[in-house]
Amino acid sequence: MADIVRHGRLQNPPFRLRSGQLLAALTTASALMLVAPGAALASNNTKTGSSAKAKAAMGSHAGSRSAKAQPKSRKGAVAAETRTAGATTARPARKPASNAAPIQEAGNAEARLIAVYEMFGRGQARPALAKARDLVRDYPNFQLAQLVYGDLLAAQVPPSNALPDTASIAKMRGNPAMAELHEESKRRLQALRERPPANTVPSQFLALSTRSRYAIAVDASRSRLYLFENSDKGLKLTADYYISVGKSGTDKTTEGDARTPLGVYYITSSLDPKSLKDFYGAGALPINYPNPYDLRRGKTGGGIWLHGTPPQQFARAPLASDGCVVMANPDLKQLLRKVQIGATPVVTARSLQWISQPQAEKESQSITGAINGWKDARANGNEAQLKKFYLPDFQRSSKKSTEGISAVDEEVKYAQGKRVQLKDMSYLHWRDGDDTMIVTFGEVFEGEKSGRSRRQYWLRQGTDWKLFHEEILG
Amino acid sequence: MPKSPRPRARFSFSPAVRALFLAAATCGAVLPALAAIEHEEVDKLMQAGKLDEAMTKADAFLKDKPRDPQMRFLKGVIQLDTGKRAEAISAFTQLTQDAPELPEPYNNLAVIYASQNQFDKARSALESAIRTNPSYATAQENLGDVYARLASQAYSKALQLDQNNTAVQPKLAVIRTLFTPTPVGGKPTAVVASAAPAPAPAPVAKAPAPAPAPAAPPPAKVAAAPAPVAAAPKAPEATPAPAPAPAPAASTASNAEVESAVRAWASAWAGQDMERYLAAYGPDFAPAGGQSRKSWEEDRRARIVGKSSISVNIENLAIKVDGQTATAKFRQIYRADNLNVTSRKTLDMQRSGNHWQIRKESVGG
Repeated sequence: MADIVRHGRLQNPPFRLRSGQLLAALTTASALMLVAPGAALASNNTKTGSSAKAKAAMGSHAGSRSAKAQPKSRKGAVAAETRTAGATTARPARKPASNAAPIQEAGNAEARLIAVYEMFGRGQARPALAKARDLVRDYPNFQLAQLVYGDLLAAQVPPSNALPDTASIAKMRGNPAMAELHEESKRRLQALRERPPANTVPSQFLALSTRSRYAIAVDASRSRLYLFENSDKGLKLTADYYISVGKSGTDKTTEGDARTPLGVYYITSSLDPKSLKDFYGAGALPINYPNPYDLRRGKTGGGIWLHGTPPQQFARAPLASDGCVVMANPDLKQLLRKVQIGATPVVTARSLQWISQPQAEKESQSITGAINGWKDARANGNEAQLKKFYLPDFQRSSKKSTEGISAVDEEVKYAQGKRVQLKDMSYLHWRDGDDTMIVTFGEVFEGEKSGRSRRQYWLRQGTDWKLFHEEILG
Repeated sequence: MPKSPRPRARFSFSPAVRALFLAAATCGAVLPALAAIEHEEVDKLMQAGKLDEAMTKADAFLKDKPRDPQMRFLKGVIQLDTGKRAEAISAFTQLTQDAPELPEPYNNLAVIYASQNQFDKARSALESAIRTNPSYATAQENLGDVYARLASQAYSKALQLDQNNTAVQPKLAVIRTLFTPTPVGGKPTAVVASAAPAPAPAPVAKAPAPAPAPAAPPPAKVAAAPAPVAAAPKAPEATPAPAPAPAPAASTASNAEVESAVRAWASAWAGQDMERYLAAYGPDFAPAGGQSRKSWEEDRRARIVGKSSISVNIENLAIKVDGQTATAKFRQIYRADNLNVTSRKTLDMQRSGNHWQIRKESVGG
């Protein structure tokens, strides 16, 4: 992705200085150096979701919604149908048209910081200074805001000022920790300038059942977490937030490597902030690292959470945690109101790729075919055929109990040749060295009202998809 | 601002002085003809360090004329000097309310706030002072210091450093008097400004040099070079500069010596040659405000050395020699970086061997 962030000097330095030294110092040492005029707040940070709605979302997990008609064997159309079914099927009333895009309140501090940058970029140094002052008054622990405020103040100091404070400013500008703040500044600006293309989703989200009311995607390269609202119209970006990842970056492999895992996960719980140390801030949302794919590849470690910041820090450096994803507390609070335990997916990527809905549907065709093949083989009681869908080391786990049903014949017995309907399909695609798909769905046998929910982990071998793990969710 | 309702035949004020004067008048203060003398007395007592006496006198005066801004201001300075910060704050705050046009009370409020580590309040007060009077150099310099401190604090917070580690407190300059008009031709006194063409700004304790001249007429000629230009013989129009009578022939030689000393002083200042600059001041030089020579020198050094460029031009130089002493009065055009200040300056000189040294430096006169 092209780096459009301008590192050069400001074009219109708002300060008339006899000596260019200060400005030079400012533009090389300052967080403001990144400001280019028109740092688009095109960020259209949209927020929907009243709290009432969020509660409804939390409560919807039990699955009281009417089952949706699911096309049976039309190859390659399942995901598409799932996505569009709502258009023809009566569904519980959703929030009307969420295309209005109010500024997210949680991003308030950041939006205000960006406004300061924009003013400065337009040469309005004094108003920028006043806004920065208000910002640090409201968020005294927002270190980047303090830096910007300091930069703006320092720009007002006559270059001749030879007082001790001038020296200490120069010294602090040389502090290595400044580099982290500049990086934070750069990433915040970059994420707000380079918006995801309209009508696209992260390439992992090939299909997401509306059982998942929200979805989360983290782009580590941008230090950004994107929050999507999911509806029968598909995923819609509603907000995005600055985040920090592991001190050593991403791609966790071993316990203690201070890296944030890359992959497709789910929120597994929400920890009461009262039970947590201050360090974790407003709360914590553990994810299921290591997931079955991670375990299969021998990855170790655990305790990867999305959590808040300690009281003394509004935000942390881009690379700061031991592997967790860290968000500002106001931002995390927004998230806490929305996530559904077990149902909100969290994609963590080095760098997100954004694809269109038709592209997502196209890419889900092969797995749709595999799922239908698996379902048909099971319904037909064809063990030999069914076996082809399993890797030899296939494992199954159940949330409810660990009845070791792992064999194909168990599956056949279970199905008893009955017709089954798969519904609420979700396909989450993860590709690194291998091509994997995490498929979640509910199955309802003919004549029954409800059935199991399964989460299957598929691995592509050549052109075939094979199951290596399955979780029975209940 | 009402048109001058109080023509005072003997006085002729520049518009800026008049503005300030009227500001005082509109807030209900009447400056009786004798007021200046009382102010002068209090000010002299203060300079002599007799603060109790000064306070007694100020109180006595205020009993009769409770609204007199100059005396209230002086009283505030006494309170500041005697460590009665709360009283001083209240005195200056009241003055900013009664006479919001005056920059000096804002400046001194800022000094107190800064000494209490309330730099944001200090900033706010100084910004008010400058809004009132943009060319107020003392407030400008103080504001620069406050910005530097605030910037330093913000960086400390950005880096989450222990803020107690930061550098020593900036010491802001107190303004010690409001302008005080006295009749033309009155005896030049050290501190009290006479009705000079440029409104005499308050002498500054810390930095005697770049005294501000609110809304002074632009200098006739400004050299970019730091060397002083030749004195312009032309007096600024419509201003009754205290044009001295031509010096008697006998003292011409002495006059030339004094002039040369004054120009050497200005040139050392502009050249940021601290050794020569400080040597221009004699051993009995008394910094204003009772400051010690040592700390005065430090202040001057801090103010002068760090500037990227300084120019000091002298115009309308008038020298009066009286035996071993002399008085040099002139218009000083001081430019440093983005400051540009014109003011009246009086140097009391003392002969020492075959050269002249500064015994007293005052603004106005």
